[in-house]
Amino acid sequence: MNSNQSWVVVADEPAVTGLVTTARELAPQVVAVVVGSREAADAAARAADRVVWLGEPGQVPVEAYAAAVADVVAAAAPAAVVGATSPAARALLGAVAARLGAPVLSNVQQVEAAADGAVVTHAVLGGLVEHRTGVAGVPVLAVDAGAVPADGPAVTVEEAPATPFAGVTVTQVRPRERTGGDLGSARTVVAIGRGLRAEADLAIVTALTEALGGELACSRPLAEGVDWVSKDRYIGISGQRVSPDLYLAIGISGQLQHMVGVRGAGTVVAINSDKDAPVFAQCDYGIVGDLYDVVPALTAALGGGA
Amino acid sequence: MKIVVAYKWAPNPQDLEVRPDGTVDAGRAKPAVSEYDPVAFELARRLADATGGEVVGLTVGPAAIDTPLARKAALSRGLDRLVVVADDALVGADSTRLAVVLAAAVRGIGDVDVVLTGDSSIDVAEGQVPLTLAGHLGWLGLARVAAVEAADGGLVVERDLPAGVSVLHVAGPVVLAATADAVVPRVAGMKDILAAAKKPVEALALAALDVPAPGTALTTLATARPSQGERRRVVLEGPTAVADLVAALDLAGAR
Amino acid sequence: MDFGLTDEQELLLSSLDELLERECPESYVADLDLHHQPPTSFRKAMHEAGFMSLGFPEEYGGMPTDAVTLVLLAERVCRQGLNNGFGLELLQAMDILEFGSTEQKDEILGLLSNGEVPFALGFTEPGAGSDNSAMATTAVHHDGMVTFKGTKTLITNALQSKYLLLMARNPEVEDKRHAISMYLVPMDAPGLTTNQLDKILWHISDSCEIFLDDVTLPESCLVGVKGNGFKQLMRNFEFERLVISATCLGLAQCAFDDAASYAAQRVQFGRPIGDFQLIQLKLTDMAIKLENIRNFVYRTAWLLDQDLPLRSQGALCKRYAAMAAFEVADEAMQIFGGVGVTVGTRVSRLWRDLRGHRFGGGTDEIMVHIAGRQIVKDHA
Repeated sequence: MNSNQSWVVVADEPAVTGLVTTARELAPQVVAVVVGSREAADAAARAADRVVWLGEPGQVPVEAYAAAVADVVAAAAPAAVVGATSPAARALLGAVAARLGAPVLSNVQQVEAAADGAVVTHAVLGGLVEHRTGVAGVPVLAVDAGAVPADGPAVTVEEAPATPFAGVTVTQVRPRERTGGDLGSARTVVAIGRGLRAEADLAIVTALTEALGGELACSRPLAEGVDWVSKDRYIGISGQRVSPDLYLAIGISGQLQHMVGVRGAGTVVAINSDKDAPVFAQCDYGIVGDLYDVVPALTAALGGGA
Repeated sequence: MKIVVAYKWAPNPQDLEVRPDGTVDAGRAKPAVSEYDPVAFELARRLADATGGEVVGLTVGPAAIDTPLARKAALSRGLDRLVVVADDALVGADSTRLAVVLAAAVRGIGDVDVVLTGDSSIDVAEGQVPLTLAGHLGWLGLARVAAVEAADGGLVVERDLPAGVSVLHVAGPVVLAATADAVVPRVAGMKDILAAAKKPVEALALAALDVPAPGTALTTLATARPSQGERRRVVLEGPTAVADLVAALDLAGAR
Repeated sequence: MDFGLTDEQELLLSSLDELLERECPESYVADLDLHHQPPTSFRKAMHEAGFMSLGFPEEYGGMPTDAVTLVLLAERVCRQGLNNGFGLELLQAMDILEFGSTEQKDEILGLLSNGEVPFALGFTEPGAGSDNSAMATTAVHHDGMVTFKGTKTLITNALQSKYLLLMARNPEVEDKRHAISMYLVPMDAPGLTTNQLDKILWHISDSCEIFLDDVTLPESCLVGVKGNGFKQLMRNFEFERLVISATCLGLAQCAFDDAASYAAQRVQFGRPIGDFQLIQLKLTDMAIKLENIRNFVYRTAWLLDQDLPLRSQGALCKRYAAMAAFEVADEAMQIFGGVGVTVGTRVSRLWRDLRGHRFGGGTDEIMVHIAGRQIVKDHA
């Protein structure tokens, strides 16, 4: 094993600082293997010590390079492998994990190098429990890529064009219209859940969001069950995780799968008609009441809306 | 077309009790076909019906996942037959271990064109297993699949990605993980449930599968219950609740 | 004695759970109640999932199912807070499947498969409720036709139904037991008019007066045998009482769950009111009543499945279930205090709807009349 090196696998992520920071905890030298645009390779070159660029995927998905990435990483026999949590990054990590016979650990909070591998603190069972796990072998970690591109001096990008899986072609891409500002960097997030009875009633929630100068978000059923709010705006374990200063959970019961996504929030406010909703045990301030009364009243009290 | 639905028989974490030391009591939790997996069953059934294919269910895990109830619960959701690998050597198995066993079983089933899975399991909720499985099989693995259809000797796959919708043509064997809302799965009715008892089930012995030894060993050094962030838990009620909230937020400098 | 569920029952209930979560959340039920609308979309979803044909013979596309399973399903639907959510359609179909002509069977089953309510039962009259011998609506047969005249009242689901299953008397027959026949009358037949009654409960079912002013139809509208109407209707009364009892069980369980969670949460005098023994006494007695209703309902269903004679078991069960379930809901209201009567609190709806089951499908008192006679007769 090359205990001096840890590798990050980059699936076209524009920012890799989160990956590189974690990787550096485990070995002094960080090598990035990039599947993606030239810009992604250049961005990685400003954070990592070495960058291997497998090439621009063009008409094939990043996932088609999974075996090629596994080949390159396995050949280097690194001390650790780190990747992002996006579907494409998980596909690359999956191939690496399969090749190394190593589990992928997710929701990583802390890593320390150890003589035979690493000690990793990570949330398991969807955030229900925290484990401190000794990894004897190569740790393969899925972590947040970070939001800020690195701006350090760039190393040279080594071009090593690889062959993707044959037989897969992207035939069409329909970009999604972004329906609002950036949830990840918002200081105030207003999330609406199943308590909302009709799509038209979203207006009262957007009025409050505007009065607070925040961003609108939702719980999973509103994005995937009824499609009232865009899918990139649902908060939860398999959706977005946010850390705003102020988070309002409106008509959201407070199931674990949702609340995991706001663990980093400063102040949590809950509005729910059900006194027994678990959200009241996980908020700073709660109002028991019908959101159809409370939300307009709150908007008015904040000096917004009609 | 031979389609495998790889699913998990898992408890809902809402019913798991976390003790103060961070260990988990699953006593009250009733396992079921994991919440998002029925979407994969439905996609598989539709694809099989459109192509005259077969749907084979596949699940792996500890011995307790193989009960008559668990078999029927899966078979009533549109499977033609079921393959189970149940062995207590898989208690607490990590994502790679599960993927290795699944891969060995898929090879054992043979001539598989597509493996379909749900978005993620309800308990672990990471969405890693299908993609590690693809890695083991040496197949293409794609998550966030919103639709799949047979076309031109292969599959047309529609993916719902953060940046937008991406449509692909896939010729070779592939592992597809569906989004949670790709389709609304049908609910099993009495006829499906009764028919389930008559469908073939094959229990594969873990020892008989070609499963490589893990390259990395995990040891749990400590468990803890995550802190709830020490929230204040001030619950307001009555006519002054809104005003009280605004005052409290101002006082805390939270807005 | 096996009190456990079979795998099939367990799976069917978890299928139903999925469907209820998707198609029948509390917001949906509350909205129906508020706007006095029937649960059409839920019924349709239930039909599509195959629940509505459970209990029908196979030759009509159904799935013969035991009574225990049917009451488990009825209980579960009502536990969602939905009154009369499951089982009544089955009763309606059974009346027609047993006694109807081929045309009548096809028509009724077709309507059921569309998720529609095929008919309302036209039994009660202003002067004849529990006392069916006082029935005044007449059916006069003449020249291959039949003419109806009279008034029915408190007819449930009349506006939602395409037909009225009308009970009417032949004025020429003296013996009242042989005077009543059963007819399937289209609700849009000339001479048939309705007047909707405003009521304080059962808002998802309409209740109507129906006026029959020389409604004349071909004799083929007769269901079964002329003069056997009451006997035919009675055939399914036992099962109807069982379905109503299961309905009461589900609604009461829903009220109990609401009250128990409220008691655990509501703080007075510095602690949850559930800490006080007076509240605990209420919850304990409510739990005992629920357990009794449940055992009564399940065992009655089991007797039916064993083909054992029910005697007056159905009447005993219905009387107990309706009364005890209302007592549970009433205590639940007491635990909620003033909050319970505010509009939008589920427990108030459950309390209202359960009150209706103390007379719907036969009053508490008529159940004594049925069971009491039988008891004395058995010991004579």
